[in-house]
Amino acid sequence: MTSTHGIDPKLDLVFERVVSVPRELVWRAWTRPEHVKKWFTPAPWTTVECEIDLRPGGIFRTVMRSPEGKDFPNLGAYLEVVENERLVWTNALLPGFRPARVTSTCGDDSPNSEETGFLFTAEILLSPQDKGTRYTAIVRHGDEAGRAKHEAMGFHDGWSSALNQLVAHASTM
Amino acid sequence: MTNQSAQLDRVFRALADPTRRAVIERLGVGPAAVSELALPFDMALPSFAQHLDVLEASGLVRSRKKGRVRTYRLAPRKLEAAETWMATQRAKWERRLDQLDDYLEQMKEEK
Repeated sequence: MTSTHGIDPKLDLVFERVVSVPRELVWRAWTRPEHVKKWFTPAPWTTVECEIDLRPGGIFRTVMRSPEGKDFPNLGAYLEVVENERLVWTNALLPGFRPARVTSTCGDDSPNSEETGFLFTAEILLSPQDKGTRYTAIVRHGDEAGRAKHEAMGFHDGWSSALNQLVAHASTM
Repeated sequence: MTNQSAQLDRVFRALADPTRRAVIERLGVGPAAVSELALPFDMALPSFAQHLDVLEASGLVRSRKKGRVRTYRLAPRKLEAAETWMATQRAKWERRLDQLDDYLEQMKEEK
């Protein structure tokens, strides 16, 4: 299954993985709070709360806890829910499709949420592959900060060798 | 927003413009005077000077005036900060998906 919308390498992060489990299981891992809490936040951070209303406009809320015990709430809404195939959510909209503030970071990592808040839309695509599942995660950015930051990603990817050269050169100046 | 974050935003904003990126690229070769930097661009000098101001405010470049000539040079530390931010974003998602894959194996066994 491929995204029905284009990918802009300057703005988007794309991850593709193949796992040896049926896609119903992958779907469940993404869509049930008891499962999401188990893996969603990069360790040593943890997800201590998760609320899901699995329908377009429905809530996707998590609370991430830092190793020091500080909690960071994240709030967003689902945009598309196609069981076992496609899940799309964003932090640009709150539940009920109400526009959000730029600082929300639901689904992004929260370790540095306060410092790196930006709007994004995440899309998870599932398709069967052999006896397992191929899943693709696409993270699209759009607000000014995201654009600027991803402009720098284009910089990172496309220009990385030029960049390394110029950094290396500049270091010797 | 923290100081560090505001600083990073300035760096990214500075990089989000082709003229300013071209200047950065040129300065990678070595320091240059304003007149030399402006040469490839079909742009009025005051407008070009604004680009240089944005770059300098971001900390990506530094300038020094000697007599009537202002010379710019690259300050590479900020570029590295921008790169690091992006790499961090990617790494965090990779880590999250690693955890998902581990968890899926666990779910499969428990089924």
